[in-house]
Amino acid sequence: MFGNNRLPAFHPGLTQSRIRDTTSGKSLWFPGLRSPPSESSSDPANDQLPITPEDYFYDSTPMAPFNPYTYIRCPCSELNPYAKRTPDVTAQGLSRAAQDDDDHTFDPRAARSNYSLYPLEYLSFCEDCHQIRCPRCVAEEIVCYYCPNCLFEVPSSNIRSEGNRCTRSCFQCPICIGPLAVNHVETPPDPNQLLSPDHATSSHNGSYILSCSYCNWSSTEIGIKFDKPNSIHMQLAKLRNGGETRLTAKERKERRKEQASQGGNGGSNQREEDLDTVLDMETQFANLKSFYQNQLSDANGTGKAGGDASAALGNLGFDAPASLSRIMSLYTGSSSLHDKKSKSRPGTMREALAPSEGLQLASLDESSAITALQDFESTTGLDAYSSTASTSQLQSQAPYLGASPLHGLTRFTSSLRPIPYLLRTKRSKRCPQCRHIISKPESKVTTTRFRIRLIAGNYIPTITIKQLIIPGLTPPPMPNQPPDTIAPLQPAQFVLTFKNPIFESVRVTLATPATTPGRFPAKVTILCPQFEIDSNTDAWEEVLNTNNTPTSSSQNLSSSTGPEGAPGGRKRAGTLRPGTAGGASLAGEELGPEVGKVWDKGRNWTSIVIEVIPASLVQTAKRDGKGPIKEDEDVLEIPMFVRIEWEAEAPEDEIMPGLGGAGKGNNKEGGGKEKRELAYWCVLGLGRVARTL
Amino acid sequence: PPRGEYIETDTGNKVARKATLVGTQNIMLGGKTVIQPDVMIRGDLARTIPSSHSSAGGSAGGSGGPGGSNTAVAIGRYCFLSRGCCLRPPGRVYKGVFTHMPLRLGDHVYIGPGTVVQAAQIGNHVHIGAKVVIGEFAIIKDYVKVLDGSVVPPNMVIPSFSIVAGQPARIIGEIPEGGIEAFELRELYKTVGNNPVPATG
Repeated sequence: MFGNNRLPAFHPGLTQSRIRDTTSGKSLWFPGLRSPPSESSSDPANDQLPITPEDYFYDSTPMAPFNPYTYIRCPCSELNPYAKRTPDVTAQGLSRAAQDDDDHTFDPRAARSNYSLYPLEYLSFCEDCHQIRCPRCVAEEIVCYYCPNCLFEVPSSNIRSEGNRCTRSCFQCPICIGPLAVNHVETPPDPNQLLSPDHATSSHNGSYILSCSYCNWSSTEIGIKFDKPNSIHMQLAKLRNGGETRLTAKERKERRKEQASQGGNGGSNQREEDLDTVLDMETQFANLKSFYQNQLSDANGTGKAGGDASAALGNLGFDAPASLSRIMSLYTGSSSLHDKKSKSRPGTMREALAPSEGLQLASLDESSAITALQDFESTTGLDAYSSTASTSQLQSQAPYLGASPLHGLTRFTSSLRPIPYLLRTKRSKRCPQCRHIISKPESKVTTTRFRIRLIAGNYIPTITIKQLIIPGLTPPPMPNQPPDTIAPLQPAQFVLTFKNPIFESVRVTLATPATTPGRFPAKVTILCPQFEIDSNTDAWEEVLNTNNTPTSSSQNLSSSTGPEGAPGGRKRAGTLRPGTAGGASLAGEELGPEVGKVWDKGRNWTSIVIEVIPASLVQTAKRDGKGPIKEDEDVLEIPMFVRIEWEAEAPEDEIMPGLGGAGKGNNKEGGGKEKRELAYWCVLGLGRVARTL
Repeated sequence: PPRGEYIETDTGNKVARKATLVGTQNIMLGGKTVIQPDVMIRGDLARTIPSSHSSAGGSAGGSGGPGGSNTAVAIGRYCFLSRGCCLRPPGRVYKGVFTHMPLRLGDHVYIGPGTVVQAAQIGNHVHIGAKVVIGEFAIIKDYVKVLDGSVVPPNMVIPSFSIVAGQPARIIGEIPEGGIEAFELRELYKTVGNNPVPATG
């Protein structure tokens, strides 16, 4: 609607892409952008017919490196709406919801799941509901509007009248959509006119132009110059391409009023207007609109102070209460809202009869337009192809702001006009259910701080993925394949590191379907599905504790019941990790990950190992007959259900009397500790499967 | 003792020996900044004041007092200039004379390899990708991410919390509230130098 300048924070309906940001080493998720072309073009099946059927499946061109990612599914997209209605935080409520999820295992490749998966940085967290909120389910309110170029705040009252665009001197080049700068141009004075009295007041010999520093377009190409270097928007509204003047809406209204008052005095002269006067688009539109409004008011006004009241009603548009009641009365018929006078007079309306009412005779002779097109190069000497406005350029033009609507009326770049910048907003987010504010930026445009900022990264554990390479156990990487590709039909191990952001220790339970859904199922085994992560205390606090009790960390672990046991797994030589400094007593010099044991543990993080055995792409694709392997179908994605439990401090006044034990807080202990749970699905993207088999 | 690849100053700056810094009197580094090899910083393109105020004899890394050096390039804390990037102060005709304006970087600015920066001002927590060209007198505000290969045209203003890409660069997205922590460069600073700490995760 607003063309290419619209700022997409989220684009529903477009596939998410996994753009590899090689500099930061992290996978950059980006809503609305497709994968970079280099990756899809390397698949021969996408460009042209393969030479042999084998070429469908064999891909020998190395591709960009793959960065493992974690996407989290927001619970707002669950099929069962009743599960999320009650923010039931007890174990019973969530286990019910979990059962629903178990019935339909989350399929990351389903078309619908595309809309609900987000990386962690895009998610917020509502403290009252204790639920994750994604950009889709959150309610946004606008804090302030500002121009992205001059960073000047626009009061919201002026927004609607200006069409959501900047009204100072900020413009974009119509050709390349880059920023335009105001430049001073020295015009050599005309020696003949130096002494004439007209010279001082000539309005179109101004000496300022807009110029683009990227494509070298300037407003002289459309014949527009300005007198003053500021408030260009106002000056531009009065100029047409080529330097002629243009009437603004206000001026047009005044002219029509003058004509109307003159017409009343002039008598019958008005009827004999020349039917062939050519009006420009805006004047015609304005004439037509006022004509139809007059018709509407005449049909329903019944002469009751016809001028003011009904004209005012006519201006209200289709959703005003007066016109609504009028339209509804057509259907109800015997409504008592209308007086009988208006019912008896069925409003007669006629069409426009003269250019002053908006009539324009269609010129069916388009020969002038055709010769303009055909002889373009000979008459103007410019290259015709580059002088033709492209669709995106036409769409970026601002509607009705200094430009007659260009659609279908013109094709040349000489009629394009500079584009005022679309305003940008600062928005605050609210939870849709409890109306709690989740995120609120400062209202000052130049400040980047937030007054309130509840992000999911401060509540749910961060998951990082790394491939586990054990010398002696892991097979060597395949030749001719980019790094991080996984060999099919062979077990591969990955280390998942869960980092706990909250100040309580959490217990994590993981679950994943035995084989991944989708076309190429892989077998997945989580070696340690239940484990604990320590709280995110400060490093100094932890060191002080270990100095007092050298084996405190191991004591804490052995006292907790459950299938974790003592952490096993190899310690990486050479790196000193906080948390294991006092852990010389920790057992485990075994090579290789063990089932049921945590791989590694630190101050506020825990690592576990999962093992995957990917399917063979080529053989499966040949057998199931669903065609060649599509883009990104070879990525190994694992849906995983994560459940975290922790104990939080619940202050006394939060507990509502009367709910008793059926509500929250079954396990209240002395200080008001409350057991809390949170569960969600997430998708781990581990890597691409090699197409060697 | 073996000569390390980097010179580490007492304010924590790590400057590679193979980096080319011209006009070091006019270059101000905030603390804990990393300058990798093959980086070029043009401190010689400083403001030329037509009056008789002389900038010669200013103190090294001058404090900007009266008669001190005029700054051509000012860099904040925890910045990271990757290999092969180039910082050049922008220049234009000002009051009839062609002169250069200072280039100011904020804190936690990451500049990718092979990038040319001629901006007038870059804010805090900015991530600039590889092979990016930032045109003259561009102004980049805080928490901006410029993707690889983009060309930011001259005089462009990029507001805060934007994701920018393309040639010419356009704003294609917004940084979410949860993405702010990703701009911190403290961890990256530790991975470089004569005694690097290996990167975690």
